[in-house]
Amino acid sequence: MSYVGKGTFDSSTFGKSLSLKVDGGFNAISINPSGRDVVLASRRGLYIIDLDDPFSPPRWLQHITPWQVADVQWSPHPAKPYWVVSTSNQKALIWNLAKSSSDAIEHVLHGHSRAITDINFNPENPDILATCSIDTYVHAWDMRSPHKPFYSTSAWRSSASQVKWNFKDSNILASSHGNDVFIWDLRNGSTPLCQLVGHESSVNSIDFSRFKSTEIMSSSNDGTVKFWDYSVNNEDLTRTVTTDFPIWRGRYLPFGNGYCIMPQVGGNNSVYMMNLKSEEPDTKTAKLQPIYAFKGHTDRIIDFLWRSRYSEDDREFQLVTWSEDCDLRLWPISESIYQAVGFNREKEVEGKTIDYDYMTYNHEPSKPRTNQSNTYKKIKENFVTKSGLKDINNINHITWLSGVRINESDSPEDFFKERKLQNLGEEVSSVGHKFPKVLFEKISVSTGELAFTLSGPWSKSNPDSYVFLRISVKFPPNYPNKGYSPLFSIEENKDLSKEQRHDILLYLKEIGTKYTDAGLHCLEPSIRYLLGESISLDEIGLDEEQLLNFDIADHIDFDDISSIGSSDDNSELLTDTSSEYQPEVYDDTFDRGKNTFGRNLALDTTPIPNECGAIWTSAGKLLCFFPVTKKSAHKEHNILKLSKKSISKVYGRNETHKVIDSDEYDSGTSTSTRPKRYVETLTDDRGEDDDYENDKASNDGSLAISMGSFDSFADDWDDIMGNDIVDRNRIPALHGNFVRTFGSAPSASIRTDGSLKKNKNIIFSVDFSYLIPDKLELALGYQFLHFKAQDMAKYNALVAEEQGYDELSHCWQIFSDLLMNQNDDKIYNMLWDNHPMSLKWFVKQAMSYFEQENNVQMLAMLCCVLASLTISFMEKIDNTTDELQVNSNIENVLTFVDGNHSQPNWHVNRSRSSASQTGTPFSLDLLRIRSHTDYFTDGRSIASEDYFSSSEQGSERASFQVRSPGSINKVYGKGHLNQTHKLPEIQVELVSDEILDTINEPSRLFFDPEDVPKFETYIYQYSQLLYRWGLLLERAKILKLGSNLASMTGNNANILSEGYISGGIKARWIEHGTSGKVLSHNCTYCNLKITRNVLVCGNCQHVLHKTCAKEWWALGDECPSGCGCNCIELFDVR
Amino acid sequence: MVAITNAHNELIHDAVLDYYGKRLATCSSDKTIKIFEVEGENYKLIDTLIGHEGPVWRVDWAHPKFGTILASCSYDGKVLIWKEENGRWSQIASHAVHSASVNSIQWAPHEYGAVLLAAASDGKVSVVEFKENGTLSPIIIDAHAIGVNSASWAPATIIQGNNGGDGKNVDELRRFVTGGADNLVKVWKYNKENSTYILDDTLEGHSDWVRDVAWSPSVLLRSYLASVSQDRSCIIWTQEDNEGPWKKTELQQEKFPDVLWRASWSLSGNILALSGGDNKVTLWKENLEGNWESAGEVEQ
Repeated sequence: MSYVGKGTFDSSTFGKSLSLKVDGGFNAISINPSGRDVVLASRRGLYIIDLDDPFSPPRWLQHITPWQVADVQWSPHPAKPYWVVSTSNQKALIWNLAKSSSDAIEHVLHGHSRAITDINFNPENPDILATCSIDTYVHAWDMRSPHKPFYSTSAWRSSASQVKWNFKDSNILASSHGNDVFIWDLRNGSTPLCQLVGHESSVNSIDFSRFKSTEIMSSSNDGTVKFWDYSVNNEDLTRTVTTDFPIWRGRYLPFGNGYCIMPQVGGNNSVYMMNLKSEEPDTKTAKLQPIYAFKGHTDRIIDFLWRSRYSEDDREFQLVTWSEDCDLRLWPISESIYQAVGFNREKEVEGKTIDYDYMTYNHEPSKPRTNQSNTYKKIKENFVTKSGLKDINNINHITWLSGVRINESDSPEDFFKERKLQNLGEEVSSVGHKFPKVLFEKISVSTGELAFTLSGPWSKSNPDSYVFLRISVKFPPNYPNKGYSPLFSIEENKDLSKEQRHDILLYLKEIGTKYTDAGLHCLEPSIRYLLGESISLDEIGLDEEQLLNFDIADHIDFDDISSIGSSDDNSELLTDTSSEYQPEVYDDTFDRGKNTFGRNLALDTTPIPNECGAIWTSAGKLLCFFPVTKKSAHKEHNILKLSKKSISKVYGRNETHKVIDSDEYDSGTSTSTRPKRYVETLTDDRGEDDDYENDKASNDGSLAISMGSFDSFADDWDDIMGNDIVDRNRIPALHGNFVRTFGSAPSASIRTDGSLKKNKNIIFSVDFSYLIPDKLELALGYQFLHFKAQDMAKYNALVAEEQGYDELSHCWQIFSDLLMNQNDDKIYNMLWDNHPMSLKWFVKQAMSYFEQENNVQMLAMLCCVLASLTISFMEKIDNTTDELQVNSNIENVLTFVDGNHSQPNWHVNRSRSSASQTGTPFSLDLLRIRSHTDYFTDGRSIASEDYFSSSEQGSERASFQVRSPGSINKVYGKGHLNQTHKLPEIQVELVSDEILDTINEPSRLFFDPEDVPKFETYIYQYSQLLYRWGLLLERAKILKLGSNLASMTGNNANILSEGYISGGIKARWIEHGTSGKVLSHNCTYCNLKITRNVLVCGNCQHVLHKTCAKEWWALGDECPSGCGCNCIELFDVR
Repeated sequence: MVAITNAHNELIHDAVLDYYGKRLATCSSDKTIKIFEVEGENYKLIDTLIGHEGPVWRVDWAHPKFGTILASCSYDGKVLIWKEENGRWSQIASHAVHSASVNSIQWAPHEYGAVLLAAASDGKVSVVEFKENGTLSPIIIDAHAIGVNSASWAPATIIQGNNGGDGKNVDELRRFVTGGADNLVKVWKYNKENSTYILDDTLEGHSDWVRDVAWSPSVLLRSYLASVSQDRSCIIWTQEDNEGPWKKTELQQEKFPDVLWRASWSLSGNILALSGGDNKVTLWKENLEGNWESAGEVEQ
């Protein structure tokens, strides 16, 4: 019976309303028996919050687990006031808060096989506690041997939700399983003392009466609270109270005769208090008749607790609630409530009251041990659990402060209705958000001490430059009342003369006195004054409004302050500023990066984004986008200015990484100081856009409100706290851009002038098609696939002329004229081929010119003409020789000349004839093989029987060599060998020679066969262009010509073998050379695609149309592919 | 097309017309992509694509044979693939192998399939093929240690085995070029045996971050690369016959007035458009002597 806790009655928060915003998904709460601290538990660990000094940030004991913490309990015993037990899935962790946060876990209780749902300390014995779990077991543990439970029992059927010790008899414990409650006695083994059956849904909560040892209450999902007395009879239900919501927790009051319940869902998110006496005992069932409802949370309440203080003649309680709206609230209990439950505060307590040390575990215990082994050990432990101390420093103090609200008023109703600043903590947080450039070095609300730094225009010599000031303030406890003005002091500074300092202090004092005399807070006007604003002391009464008006703060130009980094005359102080300032920027960026994408922005090398650009379109237009000019000038100005500030930072990084040579910077042109990295511009933006962000924050208020402020909240608080809710570590307002990342995309409508200030873009296109040689209008006009090449050229010349392209027109004209000459198929024309006035020469020159010009269109067109020219020329030969039935169908003609062997074959043939005609003396070699050549010629031109029969005669290897004075070896027909299995290996080598070439190329190929692949790519490129222009028919035609060209020289490009005519229509172009084992899908006779009526030779695998087969095999027995297979003989394909 | 003003709330970083020049896609720091329909002089906003969590740097249209498909890359480290079906745009795939900002993307020549090249600030480039069955098979290459700022495909090229002796005379040459924060330009070549891209050549010439690289679509005479850099210069690299050393040509002797951000070749590689920090676009053309001369200028 002694006066407990010297501090209890000095508590600044007892008997007051308090709201504390705590983020981080905390799911369980417990209170120190002394009532000083609460512990919140989440997946990230424990937060210890000192309720008497809610302004100091919490202590964080980090313990990252993937499992939500189901329960946390503070030991109720004065012997072990530092013990907190929390769940971590199937384990229970005993924390010792007297130890350092890094190794605070004293015991781990591992006995359950599934998640623990509830923990309860034995009220008698401080070393004993009970746990229950989803695995249906209830374990009782003795901390003196924590490796296994000393008592275990199970209800077998259903998982346990709660376990409680009897307050009077420490051997009795109760647990709820499913719909039932079991009472156990430790001495009775695992047989339940009794089983209380009656609930229609699962029981969520049980609580023993503090006064009657055999009375227990149970709260259930079925919306009822039942009170039992198990001593009387096994199933003695004393009474039932029904509600219209499922009940999550129901507990007896620690004072008076009443109980409290709280809903699982619904029920206005309130805690209801009931009187037990008022309900008539004879009616066993009653409706809920609360005598008081603690209403105000905006989301489900997670748990409620009672905070109490005792003295000899007084006992007082305070309700603590923790809700999913991330609000920790303290509710004062009015005298009327005490009376309603029949509680007399002055009345002596029966039995003993417990003597608790009134102390907080909010602070990290001091560690006297500093020897080396310990340091080493500590470092090692950091890998396991991270020290809380350091992280607390990371919790932005100002942000934390902004989450704290205290109301002096006793009544909870007007909790947050007043929009006045209630205390120093709120004042500091409000000012801290308004003036981001003011750096708070020390905030101690409880002692009323404050230290901050800022830069103000106090320089005598240069009115434009700024002076760095460090100011400390001491607030008397009764601030802001009359006569209690704060005491300012300014650190000595060489840029500030003594007199000046004196003057400033004098004026600050005046501000302080005047404001506090009016009962007003004076921190903000003081800071405004220090920043160079003029503060009028005449209209103080009106200034209350100003204090909460963010707009005014917005108009202060902080950009100028930030630019002091580059002024020369106070360089020494500058380094000071930057050294103060840099770390904050770093943390900020780091924080922000982590918050957005989990990246360390300090190492982010994303280059600054381009603001303008130009991209070509297919139609020869240039699509450009620019920021609007006048804004961009402004922007650039800012970048330059601010980059100077950040340049030292960049340097440092570069040096350590040794990656980017800094020479470039040293050269020192204005543009080289442009920041390179995107994050740097972000930092800059922050400085320049503070006001803008604030603006935006207030405009996005809807978001904040929906996230958890009460309607009575003032708007400015929404701004500060709205963002806090998600993650305490975020600094709101300062980088709204990123905080709001996960919100809905900003729509233009909710933006105000603030956002319009940002650079806006313009997109437009400029027609530069006159620079591009490929013309759409020409493509539309040009003819290709015309039968007569010279007509084609002539026509195209006209087209070009019509469109006004003289150069092209002339080119076509000459081309056409030259082609005209070729018309009469005189053999001596060939001799002129290499003459400058000849076609071949012209083609070569024109090609190389257009290559230089990059004129794909013209190149492709020339190729087309050449291709069709060659085709028509060949047709002519075919017609004259009349060796085979020639179809007018181009494809058939191609069939005729395709294949690798036919070409050299044909060459040899012609070379002989031309040689004899021109009378050029043959070399001996050439003559020697003439007979072979003859044979070869026959094979090709007259009767295939001869050709193949000779191979059957056993000529396994026939090598033909046409050797001429030239030097370059050419080998044809290799692919052909792969293709035909039975064919004797034939190797034909053609050696090119200038003179002989003229004779040897009667084919009048007006181009070098070597160039064919090049031509193909021209045609292919042009075809793509046509595709883009939407000229699909033209594209198809030109691709066909291209493939013809390819087939002529026997060179095949894969690229052409498969093309897309349009959309997804695939066309497979005839594949000639290399397709060795691939079954050909084109008829070997007519070379058209085969879809049905197929005849396949099982030996050589060549396919034929049925009709073609009939036609072909009327003539002979061999495969039309010329592979030498006697299809008819081998298989009865006929 | 008349000018589109204030399409986005913040800076625009890319604007690309689709294959047929009918649709315009723009992307911005405001994390959105906007699709416009362009019909002659008129344009109409069709859709705003929201999905990125950071500024969107680049967009690129896939070849129409794959459908109406757009790829976008963002500061959030993701590449998103968007598809229009029956007039509705939806996000069909996400490619998130990079741990930092993805600075550039480009679809490969359509002959290779739906293959996307992405360059990121985590120092890697990835080549992803979006296969019919919905699977991706990303090839990830460490390209530039500090960060890759840009990557660009070479046009589809076939090399002709002119020696003829080995019977294999046609081969595909898949290449791309990357530019990074290590001031280097690197050329990569596909290696069939390892199914990966191997370093073909490293081109040194810039004295600061390479901001953009562009491989000319022209295949006429030689291969052209343009690289622009923070050092306010542009270098044209040329290679003959797809092999051998790259020849370096400074676009102009004196430095540009400001850093260069972007290089774009016209469709058949005739004109090079450069844009930079001075908010000016300059056009360049190679004359018959092989020198580069100015062909125009655009200012807002």
